[in-house]
Amino acid sequence: MTLRQFAFRNVIRNRRVYAAFFMASVSSVMVFFIYSMLMFHPRVENEFVTEIAFRGMLIAEVILVLFMLFFLFYSMRAFLEARSKEFGILIQLGMEKKQLNKLVLFEILIIGLTSIILGILFGFVFSKFFFMIVREILEITSLSLYFSWKPFALTIGTFTTLFIVISYVSIFTIKDDNIIKLIKGYQKSQQDVKFSWFRAIFGIVLLLIAYFASANATKTNLITLVGVLPPIVTLGTYLFFTDSVQIFLKLIKRNKNIYWHKYRLLSVSEISSMLKSNARMFFISSMVSVLAFMAIGTLSSLSTFSHKYHQLNPLSLVYTSSSQNPYERQHITQLQEELQDAGLSYRLDRIVVKRQTSTNTEATVRIISERDLNNLAMSLGYPLISLKRGEAMFLAYSEESLRKLSKEKVDTVLKESNVKLSIDRTYPKIVFAADKLGTNQIIVDDDDFTHIYAPMQGMAGAASSSHLYIFNVPKWQETKYIGHNLDAIMNAAYATDNERSLPFYFENTGLDYSFIRSTFALLLFIGLLAAAVFFLAAGSFIYFKLYTNLDEEKKQYSTLHRMGVTKKELRKLVNRQLIPQFFLPWGIAMLNSTFAFLSLQVFWRGIADLSIMREIIFVMIALTVAQLLYFYLIRWRYLAHLKI
Amino acid sequence: MTLLKIEDLTKVYEGKVTHRALNQFSLEVEKGEFVAIMGPSGSGKTTLLNVISTIDRPTSGSIELDGVNPHELDKTKLAYFRRKELGFIFQDFNLLQMLNVEENMVLPLTLADVKVSEMQKRVNYIAKELGITGILEKRPNEISGGQAQKTAIGRALIHQPSLILADEPTGNLDSKSTKDVLELLGRINKRENTTIVMVTHDPIAASFCDRVLFIKDGEYFNEIYRDDQRQTFFQGILNVLSLLGGNVGDFTSVRLP
Repeated sequence: MTLRQFAFRNVIRNRRVYAAFFMASVSSVMVFFIYSMLMFHPRVENEFVTEIAFRGMLIAEVILVLFMLFFLFYSMRAFLEARSKEFGILIQLGMEKKQLNKLVLFEILIIGLTSIILGILFGFVFSKFFFMIVREILEITSLSLYFSWKPFALTIGTFTTLFIVISYVSIFTIKDDNIIKLIKGYQKSQQDVKFSWFRAIFGIVLLLIAYFASANATKTNLITLVGVLPPIVTLGTYLFFTDSVQIFLKLIKRNKNIYWHKYRLLSVSEISSMLKSNARMFFISSMVSVLAFMAIGTLSSLSTFSHKYHQLNPLSLVYTSSSQNPYERQHITQLQEELQDAGLSYRLDRIVVKRQTSTNTEATVRIISERDLNNLAMSLGYPLISLKRGEAMFLAYSEESLRKLSKEKVDTVLKESNVKLSIDRTYPKIVFAADKLGTNQIIVDDDDFTHIYAPMQGMAGAASSSHLYIFNVPKWQETKYIGHNLDAIMNAAYATDNERSLPFYFENTGLDYSFIRSTFALLLFIGLLAAAVFFLAAGSFIYFKLYTNLDEEKKQYSTLHRMGVTKKELRKLVNRQLIPQFFLPWGIAMLNSTFAFLSLQVFWRGIADLSIMREIIFVMIALTVAQLLYFYLIRWRYLAHLKI
Repeated sequence: MTLLKIEDLTKVYEGKVTHRALNQFSLEVEKGEFVAIMGPSGSGKTTLLNVISTIDRPTSGSIELDGVNPHELDKTKLAYFRRKELGFIFQDFNLLQMLNVEENMVLPLTLADVKVSEMQKRVNYIAKELGITGILEKRPNEISGGQAQKTAIGRALIHQPSLILADEPTGNLDSKSTKDVLELLGRINKRENTTIVMVTHDPIAASFCDRVLFIKDGEYFNEIYRDDQRQTFFQGILNVLSLLGGNVGDFTSVRLP
């Protein structure tokens, strides 16, 4: 038997132990490969999926690799520790450290290469399916399966490096200088768990401060909180797992009326030693869960944003033209023809916008006339208005400004044209978002409007007024192919930094919407895949830990069984042993993310006035259900192994 | 009064090779008796103990403990029976590593949901009796083998079972601890009138008992009673053992299962 055969047999015969992290490796290779397939897709590269989604994927890949690096290292080390007796015997029989290293190296490489091959294979098989999902998300006609060496090279290269690094690092954790210690095993010394009151209380205080701050987040302190809170929460969570939990258990232990009661004696002491030896793992798995929750929650709140998009941007196609635009007629005719060809009905309104300076605030004001607004309101089905001379109305650009403006009353004079205005009402709907007409929009009486003729200070006469051609298309989501050449001209201008010299500006809400929606949906999809891998890895680590302690546990349960504990009670004990392992990190993750979402909510209130509550609750429920399923799956396997 | 009554107990292990571990074995143990069961490796001692402790079922024959045949009970009741009526002492102590000495001892009482004050009273009493009051807060891996076995004895005694079953209790102990533990068992047996059935290889251990029963190949072989002199009793045990014809190697303190 050569060393290689020996290594191979070790892997085959230890397959049950290796199974969990083999599964995690395969799935992470698979997800990585699918990301790469998408990244290198020839159609994706030159289509709409632009920078954001692409970068999202790249970031997801980097996080995935970093996470796998950590996960593999941690589980490898735990696994080698569990096998220390075997290594001790090998060294006692005269194996050199060099040979032992080689053996471990072979074993890890066998697993690594197999999981790379299998992962790529599964990835390739499933990529058509994932392409279909992405195609649906992006609403493109086809996203065909392709074959290129790039994704293969990237995946194989990355993961081979990863596994080689891991195997070299984990070799160093085997210490061959003390064979007795190896043979006796790294018996976790079952001494009273040590902890410090100071660190325990400090941890809780940190968490409470963080929770309090994020629950009371306001728009003004949000930026500071975003910078300060994550490190505080991280440290707090760490101390919570290493010390605070132990304090709770200590308090329970002190009170014998609580502690010496039925199985509590067993479960409490079991939990306390299990928590101590796995505190770091729990800390990491709960932080990773927070990351996953946050990623999914944020992304799904972005989708909420996109749903609200239309409410905020009710105009379907907007062609803004400066008054010296030679193409104006040509472009408008073209757009009309395109809409007709596409079979989309529309209403076209032309609006004149004038710019003036308000003496009251010295800010630029954009002014439209009562008649233009009423025409537009007719098309949109919004309420009509009537104004007298000297009267004006605010036009809000967002829901928050709508609320604010409705309380305001302003008397002002338009500086250049010397028109007196008293603004005491607000139009009840949002018509123009801030990017179209800025943040100071007012409506004036038609007569007043004609009196506004003087150009803005420092501007040529023509530049201070512009025309807006607004196409209202009831089927606004289908307009994304309209005006493609205008987009192309604008993109070219942006690319060469010439956008200011363009005499027109064209906005297509349908296109923007589909762009935003698909970008966010794609990011969500990417985030979900990565979260699934984290989730699987965290679970498989718990399984793996359970499996390595299986013999000891078996012995313990058989002693208890002999002492007269019924099988039903043994199952209860197993539950109490497993539940904290699954649900304590989960609970802390939930708590942390709930408060994080509270801050996020403040953020969304600020920019778009939307509530992300529903999405967050949905995400949390989904993850909880998944966690429960996972718990039952592992409990089932564990009970099968324990034979109770 | 007869506490334990075994009649025609037969245990056959089915498998690739059918093995008859016990063959029509009968035994009666009086209340308050301290009985040792001896025999060479593979003679069926451990099988007998397992069947008495109800974790193994006999193929035929009957067992009665205090008038109850435990093998007629359903699983749950059987577990309650073990919890209430039996106490166990093992060769490798089988203390729970994450509990300290005191907690290990009260474990059977917590399972039975006894009042805390009562538990505390009994632990203190038994710890004093066993001479382990000073190590109550220690973990099993911080104490010596003798102390660990004393803890295990405490655990077996604390719920005042009607029968204590000991499987090679001195198998892992040095001679000083062996003597300590056995004298302790003997004293408890006398003072508390506790019935003890002990399986052992060690003639010295057996010489502390009231009666030694020998089995060979699953059948009753012989038994001798103790007289006033432990020395002569010990001699008698050695004589029977040589008659049994086991090899000397069987009588080392290391026993294979």
